[in-house]
Amino acid sequence: MTRIPRGLAVACGVVAFLVLLPIGVTVVQALQGGFAAAGDAIRAPSSLTLLKNTLVIAVIAVPLAGAIGVAGAWFIERTRLPGRRVWAVLLVAPLTVPPFVTSYAWANLGNPLQGLVGAAGIVAFSYFPIVYLLVAVALRGMDPALEETAQSLGLGTGPIFFRVILPQLRPALLGGLLLVALDTFIEYDAFVALKVRTFSSDIYAQYQLGFSASGAAALSCFSLVISLLLLFGEARLRGNVNYTRVSQGARRIAPRYGLGKTTLPVLAGFVAIVAVSLGIPLGTLVKWLATSSGTALDSASANLHYLWPATLTSVTLGLSAALLALMFALPIAVLAIRYRGPRVTVLERSVYLSFALPDLVAAIALAYAASHLARFLYGSFGLLVFAEAILFLPFAVVALRATIGQIEPGLEESARSLGAGPLAAFMRVTAPLARPGLLAAIVLVFAFTLGDLATAQVLLPLNLYTLGTEFQASSSSVAFAAAAPFAAVLIGLALIAAWVLMTRFGEVREPAEE
Amino acid sequence: MAELICTGIAKSFGDRPVLVDLDLTVPTGTLTAILGASGSGKTTLLRVVMGFVPADGGIVRVGSEIVVDAGQSFVPPHRRGIGYVAQEGALFPHLTVAGNVAFGLPRSERRTAARIAEVLALVGLDRSYADRRPHELSGGEQRRVGLARALAPRPHIVLLDEPFSGLDPSLRTETREAVVRALAAEETTAVLVTHDQSEALSTGREVAVLRAGRLVQTASPEVLYRDPIDLDVARFVGEAVVLAGTARSRLVECALGTLPARGTAVDGPVHVLIRPEQIRFAAGHGEGVLAEVVGSSYHGPDTLVRLALPGGSETTIAARTFDQDVPAKGERVPLVVEGTVAVYAR
Repeated sequence: MTRIPRGLAVACGVVAFLVLLPIGVTVVQALQGGFAAAGDAIRAPSSLTLLKNTLVIAVIAVPLAGAIGVAGAWFIERTRLPGRRVWAVLLVAPLTVPPFVTSYAWANLGNPLQGLVGAAGIVAFSYFPIVYLLVAVALRGMDPALEETAQSLGLGTGPIFFRVILPQLRPALLGGLLLVALDTFIEYDAFVALKVRTFSSDIYAQYQLGFSASGAAALSCFSLVISLLLLFGEARLRGNVNYTRVSQGARRIAPRYGLGKTTLPVLAGFVAIVAVSLGIPLGTLVKWLATSSGTALDSASANLHYLWPATLTSVTLGLSAALLALMFALPIAVLAIRYRGPRVTVLERSVYLSFALPDLVAAIALAYAASHLARFLYGSFGLLVFAEAILFLPFAVVALRATIGQIEPGLEESARSLGAGPLAAFMRVTAPLARPGLLAAIVLVFAFTLGDLATAQVLLPLNLYTLGTEFQASSSSVAFAAAAPFAAVLIGLALIAAWVLMTRFGEVREPAEE
Repeated sequence: MAELICTGIAKSFGDRPVLVDLDLTVPTGTLTAILGASGSGKTTLLRVVMGFVPADGGIVRVGSEIVVDAGQSFVPPHRRGIGYVAQEGALFPHLTVAGNVAFGLPRSERRTAARIAEVLALVGLDRSYADRRPHELSGGEQRRVGLARALAPRPHIVLLDEPFSGLDPSLRTETREAVVRALAAEETTAVLVTHDQSEALSTGREVAVLRAGRLVQTASPEVLYRDPIDLDVARFVGEAVVLAGTARSRLVECALGTLPARGTAVDGPVHVLIRPEQIRFAAGHGEGVLAEVVGSSYHGPDTLVRLALPGGSETTIAARTFDQDVPAKGERVPLVVEGTVAVYAR
């Protein structure tokens, strides 16, 4: 086992501490109300309903997101499906569309979708791109020789998929499903317009009614425990798989399968997925914009002069949070890839615990921590940036791991032997090679921060407003016409982010001409 | 340029010892080849010297500077002035050939192409390679660029880890010669590890045999081949014919007759080491020991003929002949041994 450089260990320790800080604060707050009060909050009959609702949503949404993600990735990466590059962008785009916009759009479609089915649908169709991205990267890194061997042993396309490809996809697939499952337990934005009661929505309701920190904190402990179970369950299922490719010369690119007669049905499936995931929010937006006439327009035009400052605030917030998250994620990703071991696993996993608290609770805990530990941050824009960076850190870590993991350690060693120090080796070799991952991390955190409502509502300084908070404020007025311009800018930025993400990170590679 | 001195190097992974009390001295400006089977600890030794792996114990000295003491690697890899050529070359895929070669140069020298062109010429590559990308190079060219990159910052020592593995035989010879020439031209102290005896014997001023984490013999290629320290080393560095015999006053009696023995006199029962090329087919009749041909393998310039000695002895021996007329299977031929033989007490 190679010794971990002290600087790296310290950096990772600091990041882990920052991630765990809001959790610690929340647990302390839960206990401050006394064990009895916390116990009451947890045992309340309503808590059981909340748990049941959340579980039902997860049980529907997680497999659905997994199936869509894996199927999408396989058809785009491994078949001669027409329009692969376009589909690749379209399948990622839903991830960057703010979930609260999607929520209002689905709610707008009618009552049946405002219940559990709608909630599960929104989660599945907003977050399947996580599975898609991770599985697509894994598919690309797979050695085609294994499939050829399976073919030589007499296996057809179907059995090869289930017996050779799927087992190799397990780490990527489990990682993606884990993120979707964790998200279900803390999701608030996606359910904001629905009539579903989950932990997050109840906590939010409590918060608005006059906040009882200990009650909300006690409820959060549910999601905390479930997150811990999921995290370590996934770690066990995943085992100690080494992603690092031991390269022997140039990697061959896997061949693509022809779809033949199944081309049309597959295309129809893709159209259906895109229609649900992108068509609903975009279509609703167009409808809002089209009907923004008469009385509604008055309030809309009254709101419009907020559009530019809100955009500026949102973009500044998104970019700062993205860069901060990147700084936090880099040491963690490097540590997790280059130095394996039980302690490293615990450290890396602890980063994912930022998914264990509902955004709102984490935001309140951070505000509390700032008011005691760093007063200068309290109520500042900086604290919001910090909160967003911590909140979406897991995505940055996942994106970095995927690319840094494919860089041979031998290259860094060569750099060291040529006189470059650890930092110089990273800057001159690892960083340029991991550029797609660095960019993906920035774009993901940027897009999520843009689409995050709950954290901004708690931590945004009073004199500022973002596209999200303005959308929320306007959507409660007469019609959605007033909210539409904000949603339009948000979705526009989201689609640009998705496009950058796909062209730089998820590029569909074609076999080189011989 | 500096000498490399390793004393008492020890390293284990878990409870599996990989290097055991290992001593190695590489004189300034020479190349020492370390020959070992896979798993013998060759790569680990290089990585300890390089500083990629901390040793459990021992001292590594580059010239007068101690870089590892009592296992503590207190000089980090990038300050040791040791160049490293990794197994597959490990060229940076995001840089051109020139970018790779210039990587270790100080910033001021990176822009001037002088040193880049110089080291590329040294490894026998044309200036026109400078703008190519690593994936546009053949395997042999990649290894040469890897060496040029290691030589460019004028390191005290260069370590080469199986630098010719995976190359086809003709390319291997060509690349090997280019590498040895370049190292000699720069008068660089070099350590090359390999599992291929002919590679070790043809490149090293000295060859050190690594077995189970210990250097069992360090000697010039000729001494190593002719007078290996024991029969294991004898078999490892080349095809060996080992016969039982009895030695008396510098003569040894064995199944191939009475032969002159080399080295310190041993009396009594011995093993006799004969190299196949020492065994010749006798021209005249009535000369030599008759043996029956049981098979042969043709290598082009030479053929290795397997023979069974008379008297029901189970050992078959091998004779290397450079004659294109090889006796057929089943034929009985007279054998004579040329030169002196090495003996080992039984």
